[in-house]
Amino acid sequence: MDSANLLTAVAAAEPNAKPREKADRAAVQVPVGNLSALMKRLRNDSTFAFDMLCDHTAVDWSEQGTFELVYQLYSTVHGHYLMVTTSVPRVSPIVPTVREFWRIAEFQEREVYDMFGVLYDGHPDLRRLFLEDDWKGFPLRKDYTDDFMLERPE
Amino acid sequence: MGIITEKLPCYIEPIPGGSLLLTSMDAVINWSRANSLWPLTFGTSCCAIEMMMATGAPRHDTSRFGAEVARPSPRQADLLVIAGTIVRRMAPRLKTLYEQMGEPRYVMATGSCAISGGPFMYNSYSTIRGADEIIPVDVYVPGCPPRAEAFFYGLLTLQKLIKEGESVRRPGERRKPVLSALPPGITLDQIRAEMAAVLKSDATVNVEQAAKKLEKESQDGQCESADGCCCSRT
Repeated sequence: MDSANLLTAVAAAEPNAKPREKADRAAVQVPVGNLSALMKRLRNDSTFAFDMLCDHTAVDWSEQGTFELVYQLYSTVHGHYLMVTTSVPRVSPIVPTVREFWRIAEFQEREVYDMFGVLYDGHPDLRRLFLEDDWKGFPLRKDYTDDFMLERPE
Repeated sequence: MGIITEKLPCYIEPIPGGSLLLTSMDAVINWSRANSLWPLTFGTSCCAIEMMMATGAPRHDTSRFGAEVARPSPRQADLLVIAGTIVRRMAPRLKTLYEQMGEPRYVMATGSCAISGGPFMYNSYSTIRGADEIIPVDVYVPGCPPRAEAFFYGLLTLQKLIKEGESVRRPGERRKPVLSALPPGITLDQIRAEMAAVLKSDATVNVEQAAKKLEKESQDGQCESADGCCCSRT
């Protein structure tokens, strides 16, 4: 499916999903409440058949007070891409896990938890992945500081 | 033994235990150490690619300087090239590797990250600001990453340092670290010429010249060593 058809199909499947402007590939934004249902549909519906989660990461929009979660999906059956994004508030970043649809999400979500402190509801093993287990804080948050870090002089 | 000590007074050194040592051994040992610097295969980021260029690729072949045998085990390596960023989780591992290497061991820090943290110096939660915070460094090779020629310049600096430096009489004594920056205005041809000169001087020994030098020194009663402690005429 090409990008326009894909967006139409996604909009038909999930009315709350809004296409993102200024995107190189097909990209939709969904409220966090509809994320799990949409992901299940995208994974299992044969017209979409997104069987590969290429990447999952987060963006810290600290001025707006949100984390934007980004899922890059690819279908090896149809060869089409889709970017799904959702926003959660920084004060309570709780998202349903997509690990039941893609096993690799287990590690990708652990990484995002490690760096941003996003909590995944239903994740079986939410531990730190790269940093030490006793690390304090989440270093890719914009407001992160620690004793080791050196501030750039103006 | 009497004949030898009369003829070569300034090359004899008493060592603890009452035995004697020919101090020219220093030169031989340092020569062999300088020309068999086996590097450890250790690279953490993009500088390691340049190191592979320098050690592995035929264009810049380090085997000309006796440093081509990159060893995967620190116990067989003499030279630890810190090629790349050292992060906080890597630091204890780097220290372990260094401690596993046998003496004498030499350390080259190549590239901005290994020297000072480089572009990751500020606002980084993980990058160590210079590998010398973890282990002592002998030669710094600046660059981001350094070219293979700069790497060679660092290697030649280290070889010079070894040949001039360490003595079997003072084991474990470290020299001050050296910055091996390419001098401004130097060209690739000049570096290659210097490499060629080093190779030539190492490969050939002028016996007559060496004998004359020896004779002159024994007449003067002084040897070349700067510290002047090798003459045991007491």
